[in-house]
Amino acid sequence: MTFKTRQTINQILVYLGVFVVLVAVLGPYMWMVSGSFKDNLEVQASDVTKKGLEPSWIPRKIIFDNYRDVNKTVRILDYFKNSIIISVGTMFTSIVISILAGYGLSRFRFKGKNLFTVAVLSTQMFPGIAFLIPYFILFSFFNRNLGIPLKDTYLGMIITYTSFALPFCILMLRNFLDSVPFEIDEQAQIDGCTKTGALFRVIIPLSTPGIAAVGIYSFIMAWNEILFASVLTGRETKPVSMGLLEYITAQASRWAQMMAACIVVSIPVLILFTAMQKQIVEGLVSGATKG
Amino acid sequence: MKKASMHKTNVIWFLLPAIFGMLFVHFIPILWGIYISFLDLDLYTIASPWTAPFVGFGNYVQIFTSGMDVGTKFIRSLWNVIFFGIITVPAGYIIGLAVALLLNQKFVGRNLVRGLVLLPYITPDSVCYNVWRFIFQARIGLVNKILMDLNLIKEPLIWLVGERGIYAVMVASIWKGWPFASLILLAGLQSIPHELYEAARIDGANKWQQFINITFPMLLPISGTLLLLSSIWNFHAFNQFYVMLSSDPGAGADVPSTLILREAFSNLHYGLGSAMSTVLMAIIMIMTVISIKARREEVH
Repeated sequence: MTFKTRQTINQILVYLGVFVVLVAVLGPYMWMVSGSFKDNLEVQASDVTKKGLEPSWIPRKIIFDNYRDVNKTVRILDYFKNSIIISVGTMFTSIVISILAGYGLSRFRFKGKNLFTVAVLSTQMFPGIAFLIPYFILFSFFNRNLGIPLKDTYLGMIITYTSFALPFCILMLRNFLDSVPFEIDEQAQIDGCTKTGALFRVIIPLSTPGIAAVGIYSFIMAWNEILFASVLTGRETKPVSMGLLEYITAQASRWAQMMAACIVVSIPVLILFTAMQKQIVEGLVSGATKG
Repeated sequence: MKKASMHKTNVIWFLLPAIFGMLFVHFIPILWGIYISFLDLDLYTIASPWTAPFVGFGNYVQIFTSGMDVGTKFIRSLWNVIFFGIITVPAGYIIGLAVALLLNQKFVGRNLVRGLVLLPYITPDSVCYNVWRFIFQARIGLVNKILMDLNLIKEPLIWLVGERGIYAVMVASIWKGWPFASLILLAGLQSIPHELYEAARIDGANKWQQFINITFPMLLPISGTLLLLSSIWNFHAFNQFYVMLSSDPGAGADVPSTLILREAFSNLHYGLGSAMSTVLMAIIMIMTVISIKARREEVH
């Protein structure tokens, strides 16, 4: 075998491998998209055992009703609004707190810095379920004794999600700020800025990519969360992640509408990720390698 | 000297919000949760949690007594989540590594493919697992359709009820999990200096020898972190079970998170639920400490 033929075979194998990977990744998405254009009757009547009725990749009749009726049986647009409010709220609070903490960790030397970092890291190890019962009881307690409603409120959910997004956000921003040269701070201070002034006038504008990545990470985290949403939200604040489950009830399975809703629900996350892919990927990688 | 003291007074203002947040949202609830695990806290005592009867290790005895309902379920759920991890963690890593090696080759459209394979990772859990639930339906599902077309089965299999449930969830979890491993390993591959491979080629090493002697050892540290993280996250597993199999996945697929959720919020035994969460937390902590120690010794 000459070098040339071996290289050609190698190339063919690579493309074959890429093809297999793409089929495995995209297959479920194709099924979702095809399902969303099917008549729900077609989905429900299909049967793998009956010739001619097998579920098919291409809808027998392509319809758009599922998208039009997405809000008809399930209040998915209300849930969408709830998710937007909770996720945006989480995003802003996480950004503010993690800029401050990330800046503190990156630019100051102080006693207990290691302890603080370890404390931040260790919170990522705890399973969510371990927080759920104490939260539930604390939320009830606040409501009963202090009159502050937290259960089934946006505020309660934003506090909860911010705290879960924070550890990763703080470490990600610290890593980012570490890569902004210290001389820039000094230069700003020589030019008459205070330490805080330097942060707001120079460092923050320079770290927009890192801040955006942190913001999107916390947005996506809040958008996706299910465990806490299943207990701490109710009529007023139910997010889309819980709402999707309502398409399937004991009485009726609305798979076609659910697939349409799935696509609608994924759009904000996909847009945000595509816009900031480079920063998020870098953040994730450095978070996992340096963390 | 003056500079240092100025720093000390300043830094607290930057860290305060984070400290405040973590104290009140992480550490106090965790301690409070551990305290609850020693109480007989249920529907009747919840109104004033601090007057609930203190039962010492009573809840812990219950959840580890295999004769009792909750004990049997808890032991089974621990076994289920370990079995789940033994399959999904290595599978996710191996697929992730294989694809990372593939995506490190040169081919047309490489950047596009690198973006596309991240799709499962970024798609919301609720969406992914609902789609997989649709795919695993017995009569109308894609999996049974393919298996029937390939003549592997005669009758459609029931995937989402009973003993097969955990395998269906495994497939969906692996599908969702490997892109993260791939992303991290690809970054690891790109950081390996090219000179190493050039030197190996000059010495006459073939592709396989290069992989065994250069690629794999160079990826070892990041692989360790990755496997540790995925083993820890494995014990957090909840979304895939809850979405695909509901909050009561049945004995064969019940995991601690779903069991605790039901025990606390359907049966309203908050004390028992907290005891189970505390055990889960202890397992994760022990695992973390052991693996960090092991890695330190490796380095020395």
